[in-house]
Amino acid sequence: MIHNLIPPRLSGRFGFLALTLTYAALVIACLGTLAASGDLSLGRHPVANIVKTLGEFSHPSFLDVWLGNEHLEYRSDDGTVLRTENRREVEANFLTQLAAATWTTIRIGTLGSLLGALLALPLAVLVARNLAAPRVLSILAKMVLDTTRSIHTLVFGLILVGIVGLGPTAGILAIALHSLGTYGKLYAEAIEALDMQAIEAVRAVGADPAQVFFNSVWPSVLPQFVSSHLYIWEYNIRDSTILGLIGAGGLGLLISEATALFQWGRLATILIVIVVLVSLFDAVSRRIRQALL
Amino acid sequence: MTPENVGTENASEAEAIRLDSVICQAKGRPILDVTSLVIRQGERVAIIGHNGAGKSTLLRMLSGFVIPTRGTVNVLGRRLNVGTTRSSPSALRSLRAEIGHVMQGLHLVHRLSALDNVLIGCLGRRRGWRTWARYYTPEDISEAESALNASGILSRAEMRVDRLSGGERQKVALARMLMQHPRLILADEPTAALDPQAATEICSLLANAANGLPIAGNKSAPATLVTVVHNPVLLPLLADRVIGLKHGKIAFDLPIVEVDDASLLLLYRMDQSLSAINWITSDHQEQQRFTPEIL
Repeated sequence: MIHNLIPPRLSGRFGFLALTLTYAALVIACLGTLAASGDLSLGRHPVANIVKTLGEFSHPSFLDVWLGNEHLEYRSDDGTVLRTENRREVEANFLTQLAAATWTTIRIGTLGSLLGALLALPLAVLVARNLAAPRVLSILAKMVLDTTRSIHTLVFGLILVGIVGLGPTAGILAIALHSLGTYGKLYAEAIEALDMQAIEAVRAVGADPAQVFFNSVWPSVLPQFVSSHLYIWEYNIRDSTILGLIGAGGLGLLISEATALFQWGRLATILIVIVVLVSLFDAVSRRIRQALL
Repeated sequence: MTPENVGTENASEAEAIRLDSVICQAKGRPILDVTSLVIRQGERVAIIGHNGAGKSTLLRMLSGFVIPTRGTVNVLGRRLNVGTTRSSPSALRSLRAEIGHVMQGLHLVHRLSALDNVLIGCLGRRRGWRTWARYYTPEDISEAESALNASGILSRAEMRVDRLSGGERQKVALARMLMQHPRLILADEPTAALDPQAATEICSLLANAANGLPIAGNKSAPATLVTVVHNPVLLPLLADRVIGLKHGKIAFDLPIVEVDDASLLLLYRMDQSLSAINWITSDHQEQQRFTPEIL
């Protein structure tokens, strides 16, 4: 275990200096090895590429719903009209598709978070030190939480797509399994920070254990639980936008299509939707968390 | 049930508290050693002593939160658990329902409103799922409002307790205690961290509560009042009898009129050797044998 290698208390300035030097050595090693293998490169024409990319992104596809050519003609080399396209109609259809994918992303993030939160509750009760669960169960629960937290959502997604097939179900399960570890850790910390005086207050009036739980424990931990849930939910909405890249449904699927077909305008539209979605969710959840705490 | 169980009605009804040869220990250190102590019903007793003298332990022992390692403890006619003996938790709960314990840290549920905290006072006599959802009858709510009114804090009824000042929280704790209609009131430094005016106000409230302050039109019988207090100025407000504790032992037990500067000096002068109060006999070897147990 790595934490056994680090002394619990760094002795004064020398300890901190040693820590800083170790960190500096690590950074130099990272940079040095990358530079030595020639992998620390920005490419041959970085500025030109940035300008080109920005140019392509500067015309998000959704603008074509109002500004697009209604009779865009695709011609062959000899000038024959192959087909005409109504850009406004095409992009309007894409927006409908985008709305459906956004809804799928929200569903994956929401249901995955809820499932993760529910699975984490019993594990957090086992892990919380002040509840003194049997040691074997406590260690097992902590192992489950640590393992799930250290495996990325995308890795869980890749495994689960193989098990349950393509689609949002794999996404929901991947989100649930990864966030389970974070939920469990935060819930256990909330339980450990429980106000024991509040519990004793209710016991002191002759309340039975159920009354103590509902009148003291529950009101004390609930705001922390809800706050953690909102925080991770918000994080998961962001996370679920990329799950489509591996076939787990949602906005990621459209990102994957847009990049494969070099449709940078469409990618710009998708990114705008993601930024708006995440910012909105962040603003709402922050307000709710502030009101709760 | 063993003979040493909570709920055994074997003590005189006129005695609210009886302690015989009681010893409490924490982490191998004796913290309380009371040879004999009787407090009669309706008496007003103050307990004074230096920090660590065992005052809070004594009060927590009387409400069953600290289990003495040896001796006999009778509270309101029931014998409390001693040593490793355990009785039915419901017997202890029914005893606690009759004891209004205002603890040193106030012990409020900070996320609940003042009114909800006061309503907790009736949990000892209300059971069932409704209390889990904090659903109380209109009568209970009206009584809680009367208790808040009696404490002079009705205007803050809907405010969360963690947004109240120290003095206001103290009043909420007192209102919760009133809600219990206690036969015995244990108040552990109820005036700590309060300014002199607020301290006097709280003491008057406590004294009134012990006298059976009418709540919701019902004047209850006078309760026994045991208060831990540091400020000698407040003693006459709260007590007719003063018990001085030093190093866990009773240094003196006097009517308030007989408590003078000399007795207070004896108590608070930490350089005073135990030989000055060697009229208290104790068996130190015996103390070592007992371990504390906190519920």
